[in-house]
Amino acid sequence: MRFKGMFSHPFIKFLGRFYRGNTAAILGSVIIATVIFMSACASVIADNEPNKRVARGHQPPSAELLLGSTRSGKDVFSQVLHGGQISLLVAFSASAITTLIAVAVGISAGYFGGRIDEFLMSLTNVVLVFPQLPLLIILAAFLGQVGPLVIALIIGLSSWAWGARVIRSQTMAIRNKEFILAAEVMGESKWRIIFVEILPNLISIVVGGAMGTCIYALMAEAGLEFLGLGDPTIVTWGTMLFWAQSNSAFVVGAWWDMVVPGAAIAIFGGGLALLNMSIDQISNPKLKTGGYIKTWRRMKVEVEAKRAAL
Amino acid sequence: MSQPLLSIKNLCVDYITDEGNARAVNKVSLDIFPGETVGLAGESGCGKSTLAFAIANLHSAPALITDGEIVFAGQDVLRMSEKELRSFRWAKASMVFQSAMNALNPVITIGEQLTDVVLAHEDVSLKQASKRAEENLELVGIHPSRMNSYPHQLSGGMRQRVVIAIALILRPKLIIMDEPTTALDVVVEREIMDQLYELKEEFGFAILFISHDLGLMGEITDRIGVMYAGKLVELGKSNDLMNKPVHPYTKGLLNSFPTIFGPKVRLEGIPGNPLNLLETPAGCYFQARCQQCDTNCAESSPAIRYFASPHDRSVACHNITMGDL
Amino acid sequence: MNFVVRRFSFYFIAIMVAITFNFVIPRLMPGDPVDALFAAAQGRMPLETLQAYKEMLGFVDGPMWVQYLKYIKSIFTWDLGPTIMLYPLPVTELLAVKVPWTIGLAGMSTVISVMIGLLIGTYASYNRGGFTDRFMPGFWAFVGAMPQPVTALFIFFILALTWKWFPLSYGANPDLEPGWTWDYITSVLHHAVLPIICMILGGIGSWIFNMRNAMINVLGEDYITMAKAKGLSNRRIMTHYAARNALLPVVTAVSMQVGFVMAGAIFIETVFNYPGVGLLLFKALGARDYPTMQACFLLIVVFVLVFNFIADLLYLWLDPRLRN
Repeated sequence: MRFKGMFSHPFIKFLGRFYRGNTAAILGSVIIATVIFMSACASVIADNEPNKRVARGHQPPSAELLLGSTRSGKDVFSQVLHGGQISLLVAFSASAITTLIAVAVGISAGYFGGRIDEFLMSLTNVVLVFPQLPLLIILAAFLGQVGPLVIALIIGLSSWAWGARVIRSQTMAIRNKEFILAAEVMGESKWRIIFVEILPNLISIVVGGAMGTCIYALMAEAGLEFLGLGDPTIVTWGTMLFWAQSNSAFVVGAWWDMVVPGAAIAIFGGGLALLNMSIDQISNPKLKTGGYIKTWRRMKVEVEAKRAAL
Repeated sequence: MSQPLLSIKNLCVDYITDEGNARAVNKVSLDIFPGETVGLAGESGCGKSTLAFAIANLHSAPALITDGEIVFAGQDVLRMSEKELRSFRWAKASMVFQSAMNALNPVITIGEQLTDVVLAHEDVSLKQASKRAEENLELVGIHPSRMNSYPHQLSGGMRQRVVIAIALILRPKLIIMDEPTTALDVVVEREIMDQLYELKEEFGFAILFISHDLGLMGEITDRIGVMYAGKLVELGKSNDLMNKPVHPYTKGLLNSFPTIFGPKVRLEGIPGNPLNLLETPAGCYFQARCQQCDTNCAESSPAIRYFASPHDRSVACHNITMGDL
Repeated sequence: MNFVVRRFSFYFIAIMVAITFNFVIPRLMPGDPVDALFAAAQGRMPLETLQAYKEMLGFVDGPMWVQYLKYIKSIFTWDLGPTIMLYPLPVTELLAVKVPWTIGLAGMSTVISVMIGLLIGTYASYNRGGFTDRFMPGFWAFVGAMPQPVTALFIFFILALTWKWFPLSYGANPDLEPGWTWDYITSVLHHAVLPIICMILGGIGSWIFNMRNAMINVLGEDYITMAKAKGLSNRRIMTHYAARNALLPVVTAVSMQVGFVMAGAIFIETVFNYPGVGLLLFKALGARDYPTMQACFLLIVVFVLVFNFIADLLYLWLDPRLRN
């Protein structure tokens, strides 16, 4: 049966080992999967259209309106699900753009070295040291009200520096290892070396970096829209925050208006952060905690008791 | 026979992992007498360093000393309190680590690394401690002006000398040297070894010399012990053991070393792979790689037996009799 | 010294990039930037002043590079022109009032974050497998993922609005005369508590995380084992051998985060109506006051670069390997 054979596939085995006993990873993955799933099925799950006025303004959560209504009487539950589609999409695309640039710059600088390295690194350092949010604010302000696509683009184009640096130093460490020198002597083409020999070794930091950027992009997008720089007619988690703030939701007591999108961001970001931490621990097993330490402590106590009794 | 300086009895050190406990040191007993140099040989991962660290009770998670005694001048190290342990360490037994670059703190001067151990153990002023530090540097052939240098400013050989100077500064009775010259090239190695001879002549400390380089050990040691997979498989006088090894593993080890003298001989290695300590067999640990293995070996693990004559030798093998010695 | 010179020239280049950025962006906007300024001024600006403004910002006739040079000159002579929303108040004067508030906020919260963060991180690494070690990094990762405006608003809602423990806004009680009086100073501190708490919440996670990881890596090094073998006291090992070495990657990692801290300041000042540069940027944004926005941007960039430079010097002091 092919289905059974699937379980002995090395990747599945790897996942099994990764998740076993790793609370953070399991929790993180479950959170992420749930949020993505619910957003994707927004049209199915939510009864109301996100932009349709369905009730009076600022109604508290009830049986009909699970998460209450906004100032303009729109369904918060529906908004948070539909908004999630766009917010997540922005976060993922920004993260993808950033990761692509970071990998390209990092590997090139690390592998080719010399002049290319110097040039790329000067560029990277300058971009790195720039405070990103003010940069985004200025850009967005001058571009007028920008839609989510543009936001994704500008976030993606400005956040690659940190990842590029990390990838560069990893590449440089691998580059000097013997199997690369061997491949070069054998005449393997540079592209093949990069993609087949070097890249697989960078997977854990690339994935970690992509996740970190995703969290950052999500927050940056929310932040920009909160400040009024996004397109307020499009429903995203950030614009929900913006409207809630403009309508002084907290002050008038309609906490759900503000808390729901904030919580959505926090939960998804938190899930990603947990997963990110677990991946971190794969590349550096010393950072792991729990497990054998508990056994060790227990045994130590036993051994010392035995010794004292002699 | 005088009283041993250090007496290790039935020591067991385990590494606790998620996949089980790996016993890195397995019921090892070893005595070191004052002023003698004992070598400990074996391949990587056989437990030599683990044993060395255990002597000063330096292990932390995931390693754990699960059984045995380590008696130094009448006191069991494993039963000492924190305070006793701290005053025992370095003053009675010090260590020379394998890689001096890693053993020295990169952000403080070597002078400070010499004085801080003096200040931690003796009630002297900083000035006196600095003077002691300078004297010890001179002993190993380093100019006292280097007191204010940082480790990265010294060459590899000089760093190793500094580490030796630090090891000597409290005039301990025992110095444990864990592969002290492995990271150095042969020229520097020779200098360091010569320096060691002189210092030993002058101060008379005992040395536990750990290495995988049997040739080097043959020079400096009085006795040699051979370890495999955590067990001590042979122990005897150096010249003796190297001329007439008895245990199959020791024989294999010595056969792996080329000699400059004599006719060209085809080198033989030891077939097989080192033992996985998480999957140990019943019976002798060496059976998979031994050419003299029989059913007895597969069933029961040989205890180490002492043969007083013709020369003191201990072997852990079923198939050795008096006649082989 | 070589190190210092290199870093300094690097920062100089970064500032020039920021200035150039400020110069280029308005020209990339659709339409004539000057007209946009005029429209933004919404009739508050007489035509002559608009002309003066144009000149000051480099929007003069002449080739691009002339404009560029004029712009650079104006920056370095502190002549950033008048603001639009508070015309004719010069931008520099407005900024001068706001800067101390932001510096105070960022400074105090950084100091507290560092102290608490380093302690918790060290403790977690020392007690592997203990409660702090298992719980803290995950918890703070989660808290750190909360968008800062939301955390700020949350705290605002609970501590200021509902429980009324702390004031809702402003840097100090607006009825008080600013000055070095006891009343004023306590009022300032009282108003600063919530913003500082918010900033700490946003930043402390990374200090804890980085310190813990750095300590764990350092504690696995041979020189720590040797220090223990030497019989040195635990205190000496933890400070001179472990922490001194762990601080190096921590300083690097966190100096990268300064930009993030500044971003947080923008949100927090907005929520709490705290009279700093962040709030100014927000208000300028609303009023489409481009000159003020650009000035704020430049100021924030300078602030971040200065902080990075300080971190570089700190690193130089901590790591003797760089001193040759």
